Amino acid sequence: MKKLLVLLLALGCERANVTANTVPPSVRYDAHVNAGGLAPLAGQLRNPFAQDRKSATDGGQLFAAMNCDGCHGGGAAGGEAPNLADGRWRYGSADGAIYQSIYYGRPRGMPAYGGILPPAAVWKLVTYLRSLPVPDDVPTESWR
Amino acid sequence: MTQRVRAAGLVSLALLAAAAALPPASDDGEWTLPGKDYAATRFSGLTQITPANAATLHPVWSFSTGVLGGHEGQPLVVHQTMYVVTPFPNVLYAFDLTQEDFPLKWKYRPDVNPSAIGTACCDVINRGAAYGDGKIVYNLLDGHTVAVDAVSGKEVWKTKTAELADGETTPMAPLIVKQHVFVGPSGGEFGIHGWLKALDLATGKVVWTAYNEGPDSEVLARPGTFKPFYDKGTDLGLSSWPADAWKHGGVPVWGWLSYDPEQDLLYYGTGNASPYNPEQRAGDNKWASSILARHPGDGALVWAYQLTPHENWDYDANAENILADLVVKGQRRKVLVHFDKNGFAYTIDRTTGEVLVAEPFAPVTWATRVDLATGRPVVDTAKYTGASRGNVENICPSLEGAKSPASPASFSPQTGWFYVSTNNLCMDYQARQVTHIRGTPYMGLDNAPYHAGPGGNMGAFIAWDATTGRKVWSIPEKYPVWSGSLATAGGVVFYGTLDGWFKAADARTGTPLWKFKVGSGVVGAPISYRGPDGKQYIVVYSGIGGDWFLLAGDVRSDDPADVRPPADFAKDLARHTSQGGMVWVFAVK
Repeated sequence: MKKLLVLLLALGCERANVTANTVPPSVRYDAHVNAGGLAPLAGQLRNPFAQDRKSATDGGQLFAAMNCDGCHGGGAAGGEAPNLADGRWRYGSADGAIYQSIYYGRPRGMPAYGGILPPAAVWKLVTYLRSLPVPDDVPTESWR
Repeated sequence: MTQRVRAAGLVSLALLAAAAALPPASDDGEWTLPGKDYAATRFSGLTQITPANAATLHPVWSFSTGVLGGHEGQPLVVHQTMYVVTPFPNVLYAFDLTQEDFPLKWKYRPDVNPSAIGTACCDVINRGAAYGDGKIVYNLLDGHTVAVDAVSGKEVWKTKTAELADGETTPMAPLIVKQHVFVGPSGGEFGIHGWLKALDLATGKVVWTAYNEGPDSEVLARPGTFKPFYDKGTDLGLSSWPADAWKHGGVPVWGWLSYDPEQDLLYYGTGNASPYNPEQRAGDNKWASSILARHPGDGALVWAYQLTPHENWDYDANAENILADLVVKGQRRKVLVHFDKNGFAYTIDRTTGEVLVAEPFAPVTWATRVDLATGRPVVDTAKYTGASRGNVENICPSLEGAKSPASPASFSPQTGWFYVSTNNLCMDYQARQVTHIRGTPYMGLDNAPYHAGPGGNMGAFIAWDATTGRKVWSIPEKYPVWSGSLATAGGVVFYGTLDGWFKAADARTGTPLWKFKVGSGVVGAPISYRGPDGKQYIVVYSGIGGDWFLLAGDVRSDDPADVRPPADFAKDLARHTSQGGMVWVFAVK
């Protein structure tokens, strides 16, 4: 066990160095399961535009201009790709998690936009999505 | 509920048509091609199930595919084995029909790139396989075509046919003709450069590629061979587009193929031009929304006919082209019959591409008629769309089409009629300017809300006389009808509904005979086969999906992170169905 820990520490240190340069930082969100109970090291991701209304409006324009609505639908209410306005997140709801989904893409079809969008634009998209009002009645659909 | 649209006079006409129709080959009880035969009739020659005994139909077997998502297409039955392809991740099951319980002989689980999920426009469906030379051939969603040994389940070859990074996916069902497999891509929402490829059935190697738009050299339109009935000139696939727009012009091939051995012609329909905002692509945009006839050996284009020039409304022409010999205006003609998204049903001379009959089979507001002298629709210019035109209201049909090409019709040589799942939806359409960004949608559509068309029922299952362009009977349905159809020599026709019913009707009268709730909406195409016990069986998939609006009703339950508001026009669809994935087999008592 001790050997394993030493090995993990050694590899972890090495990994951390690589991460700083080339490898995307790992995803953090509440439901994430961490092997060994330890969260991976990752850079801090703080949304510089959090709750800024102008940035949210800019982000809404980007949402159309970058063809996001082609999959996620107008108002991000869902199309071929998931609803992003229901307050629920497959890959985490933190601003940083949403940033990573846009910047690096996700394996079930979300393209990586980091190659064509600067970080500031990605943050504006995040700010837009976080600004969308979540309807009250998401969990229950009733027909009576 | 049945509407008798026309009375006795039609019956004699129908008999006349039947006499002239292609004689059905004695049915071998198998189903080896997506549309049953080269002519794509979806007509089974089996006769045990009749209007007299259809009420005793009952399920004899069912199987969960383990996959959710739209279960489009149909199984194959070859040598007492039933082959089922699932939506992504495109599992292929082989069931042994000779044993009780139909146990699996094998299953084949290909490694499919999940990125394809985000590139498929319309759910992660698959439209089925084709059988040839001991191989089951089908497409994986991620742009690969595979051939699997029908006996052992071992992969024989796997060929990359489409480029996912360019927005191409491959849910369509290939057709096999002699030593060739024909495959085309989806991607009309991603600005692809549409094509049809022929693969060698033995090796999977690409034999030829023919593009649907671009210069004649790429379209394989050769002087002396290419003789369109209405159009003149060269490089029409180039000159009918703004410079370079054709390179991202869409024109996908996601529907069905048919083949006439006598003419040695392969027929297929092409999809919409990209982007949806038509102002970014002035011109006819050939050969988008067209029917193309090619020689299967070298791909040479023989004729092409554009159903919706300068397509403005996402009216793909990917629907099946059903081949029949019918008496039209007193003359026996070799025709293909095509029910287009644009609301017109076309009866076309399949040797030349001449339109003989073109009549609306559902409410149409974008055009008043098709001019048979020019082959062009007479468009109501108020219904043209574009970024500068704002919200254009009340366009019928909606962009879902008066009939989804995903829901192939059938033809009975006995009645001479076609049996068609139809939609009665209209839409508003607001286009906008859009930029092509590789690997992302290229649409330019702000919004296109639907509403039910005249009458209020959003769908109907109809019988159609293609010799006159008249509806014979119609069964109204509350929701759009999205299933394929099956005609049988017993005089019974089959279809399914989005609220999860599988139904049988009398082929002559349209009288409903039987229905069974199959657990999820039906978007698959029923088939019929003869079992080892000599009995006639009917097979259909249930499993709603295959389009954004079928998911927009929030019919899914498997993803806690994706909850949808219901679609405005079908608020209660999810009251009747959730996603599923079942294979059902039925027989009479």
